[in-house]
Amino acid sequence: MPHLTLDKVSVHYNGQPAPAVERVSLDVGKGDFVVLVGRSGCGKTSLLNVAAGLVEPAAGLATVGGRPITGPGPNRAVVFQNDALFPWLTARENVAFALRLRGVSADKRARRADELLSLVKLGDAGDKRVWELSGGMRQRVGLARALAAEPEFLLLDEPLGALDALTRERMQTTLIDLWAASKVGVLMVTHGIEEALVLATRIVVLAPAPGHVVRSFETCFGRRYAAGKPIRAIKADPAFAAARAELTDAIFEGEAA
Amino acid sequence: MSVDAYSERAKAKAGETEGFSVPWSRPRPKRTAVSARLVSAITILVLLAAWTVSASLQLVPPVFLPSPAAVWAKFVIVARDGFIDATLLQHVVASLWRVFAALIAAILVGVPVGLAIGISRVGRGVFDPLLEFLRPIPPLAYLPLIIIWFGIGEPSKILVIAIAMLAPVALSTAAGVRGVSRERVDAARSLGATRAQVIRHVILPSALPSILTGLRIALGAGWSTLVAAELVAATRGLGFMIQSAAQFLVTDVVVMGILVIAIIAFALEFVIRRIERVLVPWAGRE
Repeated sequence: MPHLTLDKVSVHYNGQPAPAVERVSLDVGKGDFVVLVGRSGCGKTSLLNVAAGLVEPAAGLATVGGRPITGPGPNRAVVFQNDALFPWLTARENVAFALRLRGVSADKRARRADELLSLVKLGDAGDKRVWELSGGMRQRVGLARALAAEPEFLLLDEPLGALDALTRERMQTTLIDLWAASKVGVLMVTHGIEEALVLATRIVVLAPAPGHVVRSFETCFGRRYAAGKPIRAIKADPAFAAARAELTDAIFEGEAA
Repeated sequence: MSVDAYSERAKAKAGETEGFSVPWSRPRPKRTAVSARLVSAITILVLLAAWTVSASLQLVPPVFLPSPAAVWAKFVIVARDGFIDATLLQHVVASLWRVFAALIAAILVGVPVGLAIGISRVGRGVFDPLLEFLRPIPPLAYLPLIIIWFGIGEPSKILVIAIAMLAPVALSTAAGVRGVSRERVDAARSLGATRAQVIRHVILPSALPSILTGLRIALGAGWSTLVAAELVAATRGLGFMIQSAAQFLVTDVVVMGILVIAIIAFALEFVIRRIERVLVPWAGRE
């Protein structure tokens, strides 16, 4: 079973006096949903970029399936905050992009793209241009595009950060559905405390200057939703509120008030 | 139920702001465009009227400024009977051919050069100073050198125009390439794109709006080089027609030639803007 592993990874950007991240270890297994939270500047996105192969660690080792990560690869598809879709392509062509790169025939990839679009509940938007879609719909296309690469791991960099609250809530359940159906391992960065609780199987709390892990929580609210419990009922559960308070404390721990 | 809610949203008015997401801005309503156009039309009419009045009052002798009627009459005559062994249409075709041959040459050289400047530091180091050197030199200055090197034939004329077009094409391409969003490139790489695939499938399409702007500027630069290019050993072409007319003080042909060049340049600009709208409908909406 492949694992995405960061072993005592440090990130130090050129020209910066201090490292952005110091000696952080993480492990994402297949079927895990690991969420990184923390205040600004704690290096969440840096770690995600290391896992993606977009940033090279200054020290430590990042591996996927036991092999060192040397660059980006389709086994670790990234979804960015600003969808990063290609506006010259239709929604369907965007989703089919990874397949086109691999030389899959045109009608085969169109069929697969349509399947993925209906999976993200955009079955009838295939012919739409990107700029005709709302923010939430664009993120759905971005997700479908990442899934088309048939990744073992999905790396989500605040994918819901630019969405309004209502759209965001709908997208959260979509994310759980996709994750539960595909059994990929997910590593996600978010600012949303509730979002982290709803989605994660494990929440890793980072603190800044330089970025390091302060706590790690195992949670199960996402699994409960996947098992059929309504999302509102989960959020109304006193256990959810308690977990939320504890997580908030952990995030702001040690911050000068 | 969420599906219904979504399809509802898709039909919502464009330009509507959705939460935190960036609102798409649609093209501005026609109203302002029409009034600006009206002002332009009035300006042109006023200028034409002033021209007519000053010519009919003989404020300046016709050798310096022929009347609009005389220019129009000349236009009809030259269109029918020609001027210096060629009809107006033949002059126009000769010039257009040179400009478009030069444009194609400038695209074939300028786009790869711009790409090299935009994506590689070595490329920028090599080509940037060359372009900066070439850009400010007036065509009349390098014309003699090109004639010494390549003779007085058609290739020299095309080359003079192409050199003038090269810098705008290359620099616009480079600007477009440099403006490609980092996230878009990273997204493509994480989906498995090789370096060549990133260039072909992400960088070039992203830079296309900028490249087309470059072509528009280049066509303008090419047109304005036309007269210089047709200075030596041309037998046809609008620039040649104007110069020959000037030598014989046939001022009405000179003015007519200038107007024809202006009208063609205007038409080309219009066509390219149309092409932009078809090829890059997303420009300005992201």
